[in-house]
Amino acid sequence: MIANVVLFLLAAGLPYYLLLEKSKFFSSKNIFILSALLLLSAIVLSVYIPNEHPVSLVIISFVSSLYTIYKASKTTNFYRLGYYFIFINAPFFILFEEKGALYSLSLLVSLIGIYLIGRFYEKHYGSANYLAVKGITLATPYISTYITVYLLCIALYPPFPNALFFLDDIFKSASYGLWLFVVIVLFMGNFFLAMRVMEKSLFGKPNTNIHYVDLDTKENIMHLIILTVLLGLSFYGLKEVLS
Amino acid sequence: MEKFILLIPAIPVLIAFLLIFVKQKELIPRISLFLSSMIAVLGLYGAYYVISKDTDIVGFGGLVIYNQLSAILVPYVAILGLVIRKYARKYMWDEAGYKRFFILLNFIFASIYLLVMSNNLIVLTLAWQLMSIGLYLLVSFNVGSKTAVKNARWTMYIHKGADLVFLLAVVLTYKTFGSLDLVELSQKWLVMSEHAIEDPVIFVIGLLFLIAAMMKSAIVPFHIWLPYTSEAPTPVSALMHAGVVNVGGILLNKLAYLLILAPAVLNIAFVVGLFTAIFASALMLVVSDIKRSLGYSTVGQMGYMIMEVGLGAFSLAIYHLMVHGIFKATLFLESGALIKYARHDPNIPERLSYKVFWAEKTGHKSNQTFYLIALFTIVPVLAFVGVKILLTDDFFEFNAAIVILAFAWLTGTQLFLSFFKVSRSDSIKVVVALISTFVLVLFTYEFIGLTFEHFLYGEDALLFYKAATLNVTMLSALVMLAVIMTIGWLFMYRQHFVEIPNTDEKPSRLKWLFYKLLVKEGFYFEIFKSSKKGKV
Repeated sequence: MIANVVLFLLAAGLPYYLLLEKSKFFSSKNIFILSALLLLSAIVLSVYIPNEHPVSLVIISFVSSLYTIYKASKTTNFYRLGYYFIFINAPFFILFEEKGALYSLSLLVSLIGIYLIGRFYEKHYGSANYLAVKGITLATPYISTYITVYLLCIALYPPFPNALFFLDDIFKSASYGLWLFVVIVLFMGNFFLAMRVMEKSLFGKPNTNIHYVDLDTKENIMHLIILTVLLGLSFYGLKEVLS
Repeated sequence: MEKFILLIPAIPVLIAFLLIFVKQKELIPRISLFLSSMIAVLGLYGAYYVISKDTDIVGFGGLVIYNQLSAILVPYVAILGLVIRKYARKYMWDEAGYKRFFILLNFIFASIYLLVMSNNLIVLTLAWQLMSIGLYLLVSFNVGSKTAVKNARWTMYIHKGADLVFLLAVVLTYKTFGSLDLVELSQKWLVMSEHAIEDPVIFVIGLLFLIAAMMKSAIVPFHIWLPYTSEAPTPVSALMHAGVVNVGGILLNKLAYLLILAPAVLNIAFVVGLFTAIFASALMLVVSDIKRSLGYSTVGQMGYMIMEVGLGAFSLAIYHLMVHGIFKATLFLESGALIKYARHDPNIPERLSYKVFWAEKTGHKSNQTFYLIALFTIVPVLAFVGVKILLTDDFFEFNAAIVILAFAWLTGTQLFLSFFKVSRSDSIKVVVALISTFVLVLFTYEFIGLTFEHFLYGEDALLFYKAATLNVTMLSALVMLAVIMTIGWLFMYRQHFVEIPNTDEKPSRLKWLFYKLLVKEGFYFEIFKSSKKGKV
């Protein structure tokens, strides 16, 4: 039981970002790194500890997830979006039990991509805020392609691994009322948020007051590595779901 | 050798991947056209193989199949794809994102092939969702346009809803029948259909699949995404109206044996399809925007398609979606060329149809409405009964065929009236045109429709009709036919032959409300806006 509570706190916890966001010592970038590390610890630990959570924990994480969806719908910052998505998807880590770790891992990989995009924005445009940097599909096609891939991954679209592990889980899990409700709400929640970001960042006319910069070779390679990891996870996910 | 055919869905992915590395703009359409022509060749070879050997090609552990349905649809999609790519080669040349367009186009074609050839519900789910995202990226291709992006968002919301409903249906199917293999499931459903089954779970599964199909095929009340996506590039519109909206019909055909077990779902499909066909066709005549008018025309045709499924005429739905697809793709692609000509010539280019039906003629006026109505309703009915008596009793194996034919006839007349804009003085020509349309529809249905049916389902087709039977007698069906034709003709006559009133007579309140309902597209947006403000 204690082990499960530890796993729960690591992966879903209480939305500690609420406190950290108020602190002057933690920037949203740091909160993302902290959240990602805690989730990673939960993923590693779940290999050794059987991940079987009581319903009460599912409900708690679901409520915090709903609140996080609300928070995420208000932000236009890639870093914040990164850790919000971790909390939004926390109920899946708990609900999907053994397979939850794989789902969370592929989510984490795509969020690392989002984090790198945020860092790129911070470096070239002054902050990780995407609202003013519109129309990148035409202005900076490489970065637009990567954002599209990461967001489609989060929005649970195949052939990306999140969607495949999600499919595998819903076929193999024992469904019940709460399970169904949580799955439907989060399936749509992830989608709406990802679409919102896509629309506000990728589309629109390029801003003539901004000097657009696309990824350089080194940055491209980093994103390609992430894509390769996602591809590998996709193959594994496909194998799992078809087995 | 024949196993190569199963690689068809992978070829567009390969093309898209190759295009990423192509630097020369001229090479992009060439590579795309050359390799996609291979798909057409493979598809045709596959069709030949399936027909000549009378066997399916199954591979990848039973995940993908090339059966009768694939043999019809894959060559159709492949040839349509070739035409669209060829058209887009020049049409999209000056657009920003030329390469992106071809890459996305290939992705969406890959998902269509995968959907058609899938033999596993998981593969079908993947293809179903891939198509949604491909469509979203293509509809929002003109990223600088706010309306294009907004309409793409609406499209995506409805398609995501379809994905969710589809997913729930697949999970429920797996948990109920314990298999994901479509051939195995179809056999199981066929065996189950031998005994009367009243299982609410099967009804729910059938209903969920129907709703998913309705959402993707733009059936009322999920239709609104289609008429508003015309801002997408013309080749995308052609693809959408000729290919993407058809997936609902394809899905229901793949699950035809399941629907035998849920006749109530077939009845719902019939009612919803009938309503969509009438409502959307009426909207088509009233809306002021030509692109939206075309969109509603497609919605109406999708209504017919779902109605045909609801009547158990699954193969007819496939025939319908193909014929409509070819027709609508031609319309969209031709519109681009016409605009080009019209820029040089202020008059619309003259065509034979223009000369015959549209050119102004003076000196002869006739006002014999009553005789015309009588002619338009009685002659086809007499022709129909005559043919029925002359041929064997099972000429129409189910009474509902009459309803289909009536609607096919109405569509034909609508087309003549809408596109050729006949004038009052040419009424004899119109009579000939309408009757010939009806005869054409009648014989097409008899010879091609039934050939399709025999090829796709053989003797099993009778089971579908039996499941969908509405218990309509021949006499009542004929009465229904006459009523529908009269109402339809009156409606169209009033639309096209209306005189400008000389007096200040105001229309009655009821008529005015009905017109307002149609012009406002069923108050769809008003209801949405009110609910957003919290008024409803």
